[in-house]
Parts: sequence; structure tokens; C-alpha cells
Amino acid sequence: MALVTRWLRLPASPIEHSIEGRAFVFSGFSVAMLAIALYGQDYIVPILAFVATAIGHVVSYRERNRKRGLWRQVFLAALVFGALFYVIADSALALFGGVLPQANFAILLVAITSFDLKTRRNCYSSMWISLAILYLAAVYAWDYAFGILLALWALYLAGFWIASHLKRMEAGVRVPARALALMLAAAILGGVGWFVAVPQPSGVPISPLVISLPNFSNFKGGLESPALPLVQLTGDSTGASSSVDLHFRGRLGDAPVMYVRTGAPAYWRGLVFDEYRDGAWTTTNHGYREMQPYVPPRFMPPAPPHNLGTFVQTFRVLRPLPGVINAAYPIQSLYAPVAALREDAYGTFHTPDALRPGQTYSVVSYLPDLSADALRGDELERVAPQNNPAYLDPGSLSPRARQMAVEATKGASNEFDAVMALTGYLQRGYQYTLDLPRVPAGRDPVDWFLFDVKTGYCEQFATAETLMLRSLGIPARLATGYGTGDYDPLLNQAVVREHDAHAWVEVWFSGHGWVPVDPTPGVAPLAATRFPNHWAGGGVARLLPHLTVGAPAAALGSLGVFAVVPLAMGIAIVFVLAYAWLRRRVWRRRPKTPPGESELLRLYERLQRRLGRRRAPPETPLEYQRLMQSDVLVDVTKAVNEGVYAGRWPDPTRVRDFAERIS
Amino acid sequence: MLWLVLEWYGATSEVPWLFLLAAWILALVVAAAAYAWWNRAGLWLQLAVRGNVPASGSPAEDLPESVLRSAPQMAPVFEGDALELEVALHTRGSSRGPAWVEGQLNGRRVEFGAGLVPKKGWRRMKIVSELRRGPVGATGWRVSTSDPLGFFTGRRPYADSEVALVFPRFTSLAMRREPHELQASLAAPRAGSGNELFGIREYRPGDSLRRIHWRSSARHGELVVREYEPPGVQTLAIFVDPAPSSLEIADQIARIAASEAWDCIREGGRVVISASGGEPSASPRDLWSQLEWLARYPANSSPRSWEVAAKPPEGLLVLITAAPNADLVEVADRVWVVGDAAIDTDVPFERVGLQWPL
Repeated sequence: MALVTRWLRLPASPIEHSIEGRAFVFSGFSVAMLAIALYGQDYIVPILAFVATAIGHVVSYRERNRKRGLWRQVFLAALVFGALFYVIADSALALFGGVLPQANFAILLVAITSFDLKTRRNCYSSMWISLAILYLAAVYAWDYAFGILLALWALYLAGFWIASHLKRMEAGVRVPARALALMLAAAILGGVGWFVAVPQPSGVPISPLVISLPNFSNFKGGLESPALPLVQLTGDSTGASSSVDLHFRGRLGDAPVMYVRTGAPAYWRGLVFDEYRDGAWTTTNHGYREMQPYVPPRFMPPAPPHNLGTFVQTFRVLRPLPGVINAAYPIQSLYAPVAALREDAYGTFHTPDALRPGQTYSVVSYLPDLSADALRGDELERVAPQNNPAYLDPGSLSPRARQMAVEATKGASNEFDAVMALTGYLQRGYQYTLDLPRVPAGRDPVDWFLFDVKTGYCEQFATAETLMLRSLGIPARLATGYGTGDYDPLLNQAVVREHDAHAWVEVWFSGHGWVPVDPTPGVAPLAATRFPNHWAGGGVARLLPHLTVGAPAAALGSLGVFAVVPLAMGIAIVFVLAYAWLRRRVWRRRPKTPPGESELLRLYERLQRRLGRRRAPPETPLEYQRLMQSDVLVDVTKAVNEGVYAGRWPDPTRVRDFAERIS
Repeated sequence: MLWLVLEWYGATSEVPWLFLLAAWILALVVAAAAYAWWNRAGLWLQLAVRGNVPASGSPAEDLPESVLRSAPQMAPVFEGDALELEVALHTRGSSRGPAWVEGQLNGRRVEFGAGLVPKKGWRRMKIVSELRRGPVGATGWRVSTSDPLGFFTGRRPYADSEVALVFPRFTSLAMRREPHELQASLAAPRAGSGNELFGIREYRPGDSLRRIHWRSSARHGELVVREYEPPGVQTLAIFVDPAPSSLEIADQIARIAASEAWDCIREGGRVVISASGGEPSASPRDLWSQLEWLARYPANSSPRSWEVAAKPPEGLLVLITAAPNADLVEVADRVWVVGDAAIDTDVPFERVGLQWPL
């Protein structure tokens, strides 16, 4: 008990008395604040906390030797509870935008406890909370400039450790500057080398990342049949529309829609449609089940028989989106910061409200193992999966189109070959364009695409293939969502833009389930279902072919304010090289020493080392020689004295003789 | 540990920045290990006594300059004085650090830490006060070095050594003697200034240049002077208790013996101090030799038996003891009894306690 009491009393440690240590703690926290502000677009709380923490450090440093007052402790404890209350309220009511509530709580915690940094572990706690905040920012970091912040934090951590160590030794915070700079530079460069050269381990995700807390906004009514919002005009309360109508198409720009941090590139699937009538896709099954915001694996279907494992995706919404969870399928588990989720009959998850900018949800998905050989082994059952006859209904597909499907798949002996043959047929024989004229009145959009214009965009290709496959007795459906986006294999992240909105086909294979197939030209027919090389070096290598002449400028531009850093580093390197060159020139032009002088003096030094005792400063060479009793020293001493006092330095041959005698 | 945590989080959350941070932490640890190795290889320790701070009543304040100059140490230290110990770290080639030194000086713990050891070396002074008589031992000294972050620590122990010798305090006891003794001693000629050649010895600062024996100097390679012995020089044999029962008694015996020796030597006499079973003191005319012998007393005597010391043919035998031995007392000319031990003799004796000065 006494031990516990003593432990709870938290005696002061030296680091809390070190102003340098506190400076490093505060700097590390400031870097985390900057990262949250830049990448989390979270400004109010970090700025307030930054100021409060600065004041808190000053106060607690000044009062470090005083006894802690009870009322202040009570007040600070109340503030901690207040911060907790605020976070919950902000999550529910979005008082400060509801952005990054956990980060805000951690920030407030550091700010409050900075007024009480007197006891051991408090400075360390602040540092580790800064790391947690930095981690949250890292989830949102989409460019390489974040590496600078990360390096800064690592350097502040090193500084904190140095201050802590020296304070423990009761020594001043003074270290050999050159050696330390060399050590830190070696660590930074070595770390980058390690990061690039060593494969990154890929672990099994424990659960989806919980970045935001759920709010209390709940479903208000039954689930409408929603659809892809970007290409449709009508919608439900969440912003989702009820159908995909091939007669219309919205304008798609370059604006980012969401950032996705993902362990593997994939289609971010949203809604699925099974019924095609009069040029529009709708759904036939309006059933759903309601679930908690965190959906653990036990509530989800079992893992597909052929999968390569799971991977995490973290989606950060950048513009208002319909309340549909776009993610890689099949899903193993997911978390979304909402009060409840609904899973429709097609496995897609819906949120009660539209997704607002700044919201983050996280999904763990299986990566299906799709190989041509395995898929060829699946037998075509010609039975509607999941008892849904719509999957085999070609709808209003014309006999010409049905005949085209038969001819395109002639010679295919199994389901997979038939699917690939039809996909290849469409990819080869039709062109992709977004400048498609309006479908003439009274014409079926699929027939018009297949036989008249022979150009179209993803919806035309996917619709045509879906219906043609159904006409062959192969179950298929239309999937909508987003393509992977601009994927950076080095950082495991993708920027998904408006024009990445996409539609593709899901084909039923008896041994694999729904398999995504893409007939759009320029896209791999079978989605890539391999984990990317988790080796940063491999990522760099994959980036290289994409570099063009304009790439460096574009890369610099993407760094924003931090673009000055590489430029400054470049200028600094030029200056250093120029200085080294000038120094070398001066060195070469220095007055030459008489031949034999430097060799003899070096030899004299070597001899002293070998004799085990160096000549003391007040000792003359002769006195030293008399004490050391060495024959060769007698001759060397004589030569040294002649050189130093008479200016008669020996020629190099004689010095070499001495050297041979010594060795 | 931090590296493992970051790697684990990176592997399970697909955030590659964590791998970069983990790589930096690991690289920092590796760089720190290399730094620690480099730091350890180029630092070494030096301990040296740079001065003394005489206490009130210390002989260092009263001794003539010529005597002090002839001391074996630059600044002789007497019991009760303080000494200035310089703890220095030297570096090879360039600035290094951090390093900290720790060890014991006479049983007292001394430790210093330095973040930076400059190229020209790092020094700190430690004043060790109220020293006791005897050797000042530097034990358990070691230099610990590390990287600046404190991850890797290396230790280099140093062999125990004696950095100084603390001499006993003494004072002139001549005033306590009988007036006729004092008169006789005052009339005695100075050592080395008589007519009869006694021998040669090494040159000491203050010696007259006339007394330099040039032929011997040439032969020995250093200056040698003639030493003349005055007629009727006093020879004093001091026999001290070989087995004092406590350190305090030993200290007092040493102080009395040193005082007797000082009185004799400054009057030109010769002194030999001995205890049974051990080597007697050397260089009878040299005060510092006697003090050195007494500084190490009673470690240089054997307490097993009392052996009657040979009384010098033309000199006095002074016995200083806490346990008077009847045989010795009988042959002694003067006896000091430290403490209240019983003594039964006709020889004049003086009883003293442990207080100093007497």
C-alpha cells in the first residue's frame, strides 16, 4: 500500500526542471498541432491549445518547486472532464465542425496538463500524446511534405531524450555540436534509406480505424432505392438518387471527392443495381438490416473462400456525398462516425445523413484471390444467385444484342472464358468517350450504344455487358462507385476525384461469389487483386516510369509552402560544395612544409604512442628521450631537434629508415 | 520498444508514415550506438591534486617557505586541511561527450557529469575538506560515457591510486621543555654549515651555489651539493607505539612524533622514527621523510611484538606510546604517554590526552 501511495505521489524528475527539455516537448507538440491544422483542417482547438500550452509551460516551470495546490488540481481535473464533455458534444453537435474529436481531446489534454508538468512522466506523457496526435494527422497526410513535419518531430524527440539524459547526469545541455549533427543527419538519412530499402511488414488489421466519434443523427424513414449521386439528378434525403438512368449524365470535374488510405488499390464500390428497364437501372429488393456504427466481423458474411487476407481503408470525405459507404468489397468489418448503419440487400452500407466534408470512416475488406485458372474451374450453374431472378433477366435487350453476345463468346468453354471474351470484345470494338450526345428519343440506350454510336462511357459498357451476360445465362449486376483514383504506392493512399466515378459489372462465379469485371476500354478486365509491393523501394520504382519532364515542377507545386524546403536544401548543398571547393583550393596553395618535416613529426608521434607514454608539454624532447630508454628514440629525437631548432629537416629516405626501424 | 509499437501500428493500419517514423527511430538508435562507441574510445580520466586550503593552525601556514619548497608535493596537505582535487577528462582529436566520472576519495563519493568535453579537455575542482592523516586514496573511479540520448552506456574503470598523502599536524614543543634543554638546542649549529664533510646530497632550492660539487654533478647528471655536518649534532630516535588502540590515539602519537622531529631537524639534528617490526624512517635530516613515515603510521609497523629499539650512541630516545612497555620506558630519555594508561617509572614522562594542540 505504501508503495502504491509513494507511486501515486509522483515525485519530480529532473526533466521537469529542465527548460530545454520543456522546450523540446513544446516544440514536438507544436509540430503535431501544425500537422493537425495542415492535414486535418482543424484550426480552432489547435490554435487555442497552442497558446494555452505555451502559457502552461511557463507557469508550471516557474512553480516547479512549489507544492501543488489542491484547488488547482481540482480545477485542472474539472477541465479534463470538460474537455471530454466537449469532445462528445462536438461529435454529436459538431460545435467545432466535428472534425477530429479524438485529436482535439488529446490536444486539450496536453494543454490542460501543461499547467501541471511538475511530476515525473508528465513531460513524457505530453510527448507521447503528441505522437498520437501526429499519428492521427498521418492518417490524413496526402503529400510528401508531411515527412518534413515527421522528421522535425523525430528531431525534437531526440532533443528531449538528450535534455532528459543530460539533466539526469546533472550536466548542462551542451553537447559536441558537430558530432551530434553528424549523428542526427546519419539517422535521418539512414532512416530514409531503411524506409525505402526494407519491405514494410503487412499485418492483419485488428479493426477499422476509429478517427471520429459517432453522432446522434438517426435514420428518419425507410430506405429508398438510392443511386450514384454524381451522375443523377434526383435523390433521397441523404443525397442519393434512386436509379441510374442512361439517358442522362452529369458533369464530372477534377475536384477531389475523398482521400483513401488503403493497403491495396481497389474499386470503391457504392450502390449495386439488378433491374434494367427502359434505359434505367433500379433495384428490386428494398430490404435492409440496421446495425451499429461499428460492424464487427461476426455480423458480416464469412470470409470468401479465396482471399489473400484483409486490408484497411480509411476514407476521408472532402465534399458532401450521399450517405453511402463506398469501400472495397467484400467487407470484413467497418466503422463510420454515425449513430447507425443500414446494410441493404446488396451488401452496401448506408448512413442516416449525407456524408459531410471532414468525416472519416474506415473499412476492413478482404482482398479476393482472383486468378484466371481458379475462375475457369467454377462451373456455370445458370441459377439466379441469392434467389434473385433479376440477376438473370436481360430485360429489354434486343435480339441483335443477344446474338452479338453469342457470337462474341463463341468458342468459350467455361464461364470465365465467356466473360473475358465478351469483355475483350467490347473493349476492342468500342471507344470510350465522355462527349456522348443525348440518346435519341425512343431508342434503347444499349442498342444505340452497340450498333449506332459505338462509343460511350462506363455505364454504357457495363450495362451492355451485364445484359449480354444475362442473355447467355450468366448472372451479373451493375456496380457503381469510384475507381481507385490517383494511387501512390509509396504512401498507400489514393486521391479520388469526381471523374473517378465509375460503373462496372459484377459477375457471379459459383466458387468465388461476385467478381468485378470491367469492360471499359483502357481498364484491366479483371480487377487487380494483389497486394501492392509493401516495399517503399518498389513503390518508388513503380513511380519512376510515370515521371515526365514536368513532374518535378508539379511535385514542388504539390508541396505548397513547403516547396521552399527542397529549394533551400538545394541552394544549401550548392553553397556547401562551393565552400568545400574553395577550401580545397586554399589548402592546396598553402605554403608547403619542408620535405620530411611532416613525415618526421608524424613518425615522432607514432613512436611516442608505441612507447606507451606521450611527451608531456613541459618535457623537452631530450628529457623525454632520457626517460624512455629507446635506441630508435635517440636518433629520432636528434633528428627532431635538428629540424626544429636548426631547420635541417631530414630527407624522406632517412625518415623511411626510421619508420622501418620502428616497425 | 517505440520502434516495435510504430511498426506494429504501421502494419495494422496501413499508414506508411509510421514506418518512416519507425525507421527514423531505429536509425537514431543505431547512430546512437555508433556515437557511444566513438565517444567511449576517445576519453580518459586524470586525477591530480592542484592545491591545498590550509585549515586554521595548519603547519602549512607556519612552515618557512624554504621548507615548504622542499616538500615532495607541490602543496603539502596536513590533517584538517582541505585539498583541491582536479578531475579532468581528456579527449582525443575532437570534442566529445557526454561523460560522467564517479569514484571515491577517502571514502567520500565524488561525481561529475559533462555534456561536452571540449577539445582542450574538461576540468572540475573538488575540494575535499577536513582530511585525516594518511594516504588519500582514489578508489572505484570510472568514466562512464554514452551517446547523447543515453541509450548506450560504456564504463571504463581505473585502478585505485593514491592521489595525496596527508601529513600529521605538528607544532614546536620546545617551549614545553626544560630551559637548559632549550638553551642547548638553540646553540646548536645549523645542519650542513659545519666544517666536517658529511657527504653529498641532491641540490635543493635555497642551497648556496658555493656548495655545489661540480664533479659529482657532472657524474650524476644533476646538481649535487656538499653537506657538512656540524659538530655535536643531535640525534633523536623516536619510538612510537606499534599498536595504538584507536585511530585517534595513532593520530595523536603521530602529531607528537612529528613535533619532536620538527624541533630536532630545524635545530640541525637527525631523526629516526621507528616502531617495532617495521622499517624505520629514512633520510634523518629530511622533515618530509619523517612526516611521510608518520602519515602512514601505524600501517608501517607490526603490532605483534615490542622490540627494544637501539638507542643511538650519542643521542636521545623518545618513546611515545599509549601502552607504556616497561623495558622500553627504562631505556628512554623522554616518554610521552597518550591517554591514561598506568606507568610505573622514574623516567620523566608527560601524559597527554587526545586534544591538539597540547
